[in-house]
Amino acid sequence: MIRFKVNHKEVEVAGGAYLLPALQALGYDIPHLCYYEGLEHYTSCMLCLVKDARTGALIPSCSLRVEPEMDIITDDEEIFEARKTGLELLLSDHVGDCEAPCTKACPAHMNIPLMNRLLQNGKADEALEVVMKDIALPGVLGRICSAPCEKICRRKDIDEPVSICLLKRYAADSGLYEPSLPEQVEPALQGRKVAIIGSGPAGLAAAYHTQLRGVQCTIFDKAPVAGGQLQAIDEAILPKEVLDREISFIEKTGVRFRMGEAIDKDAFLRLKESYNAVVIATGPLEEPLREWGLETYKQGIQANRSTYETNLPGVFAIGAVLKPMRMAVKSVGHGKEASYCLLQYLKDEEVKGEPGIFNSRFGRILPEEVQEFLKESNDHHRVEPIYGLSEGLKLEEVLEEAARCIHCDCRKIDTCKLRIYADAYRADQKRFGGAERKAVKKVIENGAALYEPEKCVKCGICVRLTEKHRETYGMAFIGRGFDIEIGTPFHETLSTGLDDIAEEVVRACPTGALALRSPDPPDRRL
Amino acid sequence: MKIDYRDIDEIIAREGTDKRFVIPILQAIQNKYNYLPEEALRRVCEHTQITPQQIVSVASFYSQFRLFEAGKHIIKVCDGTACHVKGAGLVYDALSRKLDLKEGEHTDQTGTYTLEKVHCLGCCALAPVVQADSITYPHLNSSKAEKLLADFAKLSRQQKERPARKPVERPEGEVRITLDSCCAASGTAAVKQAVEKVLAEERLNVRFKPVSCVGMCSQVPVVEVAPEGQPPHFYAQVQAEDVRHILERHFRPRRLIDRFRINVLKAASYFQDEADGNGMRINALDAKDKQVASFLGQQVPIATEFRGSIDPADIEEYLSRGGFEALRKCLETMAPTAVVEEVKNSGMRGRGGAGFPTGKKWEMLAAQAKSPKYIICNGDEGDPGAFMDRMLLESYPYRVIEGMLIGAYATGASEGYFYIRAEYPEAAASIRQALNVCRERGLVGERILGTDFSCRLQVYEGAGAFVCGEETALINSIEGGRGFPRIRPPYPVEEGLWGQPTLVNNTETFAQIPFILKNGAGRFSAIGTEGSKGAKVFSLTGKVNRGGLIEVPMGATIRQIVEEIGSGIPNGRQFKAVQIGGPSGGCLPASLADIPIDFESLREAGAMMGSGGLVVLDDSDCMVDIARYFLSFTQNESCGKCTFCRIGTRRMTEILDRICSGKGKVKDLEEMEMLAGWTSKGSLCGLGKTAPNPVTTTLKHFRHEYEAHINGKCPAGKCKELITYSINKKCIGCTICAQKCPVEAIAFRPHEKHEIDMELCIRCNNCLEVCPYEAVDVQ
Repeated sequence: MIRFKVNHKEVEVAGGAYLLPALQALGYDIPHLCYYEGLEHYTSCMLCLVKDARTGALIPSCSLRVEPEMDIITDDEEIFEARKTGLELLLSDHVGDCEAPCTKACPAHMNIPLMNRLLQNGKADEALEVVMKDIALPGVLGRICSAPCEKICRRKDIDEPVSICLLKRYAADSGLYEPSLPEQVEPALQGRKVAIIGSGPAGLAAAYHTQLRGVQCTIFDKAPVAGGQLQAIDEAILPKEVLDREISFIEKTGVRFRMGEAIDKDAFLRLKESYNAVVIATGPLEEPLREWGLETYKQGIQANRSTYETNLPGVFAIGAVLKPMRMAVKSVGHGKEASYCLLQYLKDEEVKGEPGIFNSRFGRILPEEVQEFLKESNDHHRVEPIYGLSEGLKLEEVLEEAARCIHCDCRKIDTCKLRIYADAYRADQKRFGGAERKAVKKVIENGAALYEPEKCVKCGICVRLTEKHRETYGMAFIGRGFDIEIGTPFHETLSTGLDDIAEEVVRACPTGALALRSPDPPDRRL
Repeated sequence: MKIDYRDIDEIIAREGTDKRFVIPILQAIQNKYNYLPEEALRRVCEHTQITPQQIVSVASFYSQFRLFEAGKHIIKVCDGTACHVKGAGLVYDALSRKLDLKEGEHTDQTGTYTLEKVHCLGCCALAPVVQADSITYPHLNSSKAEKLLADFAKLSRQQKERPARKPVERPEGEVRITLDSCCAASGTAAVKQAVEKVLAEERLNVRFKPVSCVGMCSQVPVVEVAPEGQPPHFYAQVQAEDVRHILERHFRPRRLIDRFRINVLKAASYFQDEADGNGMRINALDAKDKQVASFLGQQVPIATEFRGSIDPADIEEYLSRGGFEALRKCLETMAPTAVVEEVKNSGMRGRGGAGFPTGKKWEMLAAQAKSPKYIICNGDEGDPGAFMDRMLLESYPYRVIEGMLIGAYATGASEGYFYIRAEYPEAAASIRQALNVCRERGLVGERILGTDFSCRLQVYEGAGAFVCGEETALINSIEGGRGFPRIRPPYPVEEGLWGQPTLVNNTETFAQIPFILKNGAGRFSAIGTEGSKGAKVFSLTGKVNRGGLIEVPMGATIRQIVEEIGSGIPNGRQFKAVQIGGPSGGCLPASLADIPIDFESLREAGAMMGSGGLVVLDDSDCMVDIARYFLSFTQNESCGKCTFCRIGTRRMTEILDRICSGKGKVKDLEEMEMLAGWTSKGSLCGLGKTAPNPVTTTLKHFRHEYEAHINGKCPAGKCKELITYSINKKCIGCTICAQKCPVEAIAFRPHEKHEIDMELCIRCNNCLEVCPYEAVDVQ
């Protein structure tokens, strides 16, 4: 055993141990990309820097053994800055988006590329599940959404945007999905209840997302039927049965509807007393509401733009009551985001809204990148529904249209360590910007793996793993310095390089450089 | 390219099938095909233990290897520091224009020439230099470079070997010529041929003798004529056609002398206009002459003892001057611990750059229980602007071998390697030849000098990677891998080559060792300063009248070196700064020229000893450009392993590019300083840790120049995007510039004052070079 100090505390580890695993075993969280258990240390990413207090030097903890008398500092301002700078350097050379532009543009933040991948494989049920994670009224929005996602879709730089809205509609109309309520409600939320005034898209969405976390929601509306402004839409555009179906779906989750109950100032004050929180989603501001004690301005209620909190504690305001708006999807987005705020409020946490996480972005597609993106797509033009817009897309059309998606998103969006650390260290991807970026390349073959070299951080894990497992070709470092690349020797195919251990290598890759193309093994190979 | 597998199989049979032979195998393949055909590499993988992964990663790591078919002839433009400050960039551009290469192209349309930039050919005193196959062209400029191709085409048709002469008995005297690479580059080979021709034709009973480098690189070719029983006569900058006159002067009737004008060398004027000639065809150098005396007299030759007087290849000459006595003394009268003790007492510190005490390193290796132990001579001298190691290996091979053997004896190492840089084929040949002689004489190999001490030594040639000068990268390279450094500890003395205890010392370190053991630690430690003992070899280059290879006692000041040994700055220019220590070192301004050169003083000033490159800069040198030059060098040579060096140096280079092109912002300076700090703290090895030094020292001492660039001015008139050319009143309308302008930016108007169209001008500097009337201004 060796005794040494960590953050001035005496500790003991087995002799011969390396610092990083020793610190991990002691419960310290040290960021690292190039370290991989079972492989020899490589000392590349330099994120695992810690400080030896005896000399003040920053040392890579993955590669040095614990020595007696060491006095290790795991975190201080300098270490934080060093790691942050390291991350920013890596990010300055990391060409790829975490979330696709369409997802970023969607007010409800829906995972569009994932929906497309599922639909392309004929998985409407799973696709609907993905949609309904963020969108409470998919069938409705599939008919009336103004689709900001399509306006930013990168495919439009090649030909026309993917028909995202109609694909979503197909998922809503054809998919079967039963949301499951939590078996056990979080203790802090047990017995809590929320009153929502207004049954339009904002109110419905807020109720849906909050109810699914086990908080009892009750919607009040003076109208006899729910739907608010949605009820006024032409039947030819939005058939009543679609609206009814989705409202009853929300009702089935346990949301209570108290229709025909107009809320005036007194009623509002009573709701405030008897409910743990109140959401105002009444649509465009009407004069009497100005008397309720809420701060208002010319166009609506004054509320915090990111948390939807009004001046009254526990009272939130969403949708057109904040400011007249015509986009239903925006209201739906408000409802979803407000739900995060409500839950935080109910749990007595700091109200911050939907947790935002670091997002890498690279901007427009360069002309030479078009072919790269088309590798994972087809070159067909946008499918216009053969039976007309009112009929929407049919299965064959869906399969073809969904396959037009060029998958700008990262397949490891939730597990990419670079993203997680970039977020934790508040790294700024643009800090060392200014130079021309490298062009995106995609290596795709018949296999399940996808390789995007410009996302690689050159940690060498794939090289070392394939070497250890004696792959005939494996992955190799090619070139040196800034232009170093990792690839298969002699330009062999990726599947030749990753013959036996593709899955482990893909899993071991700390970023989205090597990934599986689909979250599930694809049903049919393209 | 058609591959004959029999050739590949033959190479494999010759080099071996183990993984570690990958670099020699690749070198042999490239020798055969001028590049590395994929088919050949696949064949190697099929018939050896080398894997595709290994061969591809090694072949693509080292800059010596070409993965694409190259032209029939390779034209290498040296981009070492000395060449850079003397306009290598303009020379490259001129050749590129001549070959009609487009951006990113390296081989011309006909497939005849491939143009490459290389980091330092080690002929810094002849800068700027271009090497076409094996022919080296010194002192080029943009306009001369244009003629180079035609000349090369002619020469390569003519080249023929002359038969060697029989050895001379009872000679009337000796003719000595230094024949190391930089002398050869300046035309010594032609002079040698002329000497042999004259000796043969005139049947002179005179011995011809190649000798070790004398260090007066700015004066080469130097011919030394030593009639029997008389003091030697030196002739500087001799041309082949002068040889007959010189020889006849000493070995023929005296009356012939009147035929020549003899001039005592005026190095200052000669260095600049040697090519144009001013009537001084023959330059006799007198060893007692003030010029020569001040060059040689200040120096203390230890590693370079007997410079210029012994034949490097002749072991008899080395033996007759006490060579291998130190080794014999160690083996016969001293215990290994006593040898270590002696080296410790001498205060010797490693000459590779960091200055680690040599004796202490030896002691650490000696204490290791594991065996076998290895010893490595680091001859991977990659600093642009430095050629000490090359000269020592070429001129003093036996001394380096002796030093290494003493090291092996003291530490218990039984096997060793000379790791010699790819760009130094002559150095490798010199050591190989010397090792063969030593083996025959029982000085290397089993039971050395009849004792129980055995040590096998061999040469391992690098393949072009500056980072391999870092000891752990060097070891990886010998093991057949990419030159990736690895973290220390463990240090090589604990776990080095093949995981065994290994001593890695610099070439110059080994070259100093025999002196210490022969003369005692006291003699050595009497030279130098408190913390830095002995003498240090520097290659003195750049804007200095007498550049060359010098060995001075530690503690000599920069001013002594530049002004006394180097005889000051040519062309009446101002001494501005010295760049010391290469890419890891820094720029010290003339105002600091009185600091003594030793490890501590240099470090305090923000520079470092490095391996001993000393480039003198004058007021026409742009310090921002110098910083950019070094940083882009290290950035190119970064192995790419760790984040801070791989990306940090790149981002800093981009900032410097912006500043040099006038697009810099004030906040860029702050950003760069910050990035420099992190790169130096966070990099894995010495290359990255010291890479920011040229930037931080220039920012410290020459910040105003950075600020001037940000304000759109390059005060030295170097940065292309920030300068304009114009023609002043001295113009007489001779049209030479108009004829030489490659882009027709100067209209052909005889007898009228010319004008330069700045829209068309590509800033190639041709007009300024050719104008006989100093009528071209650059601002």
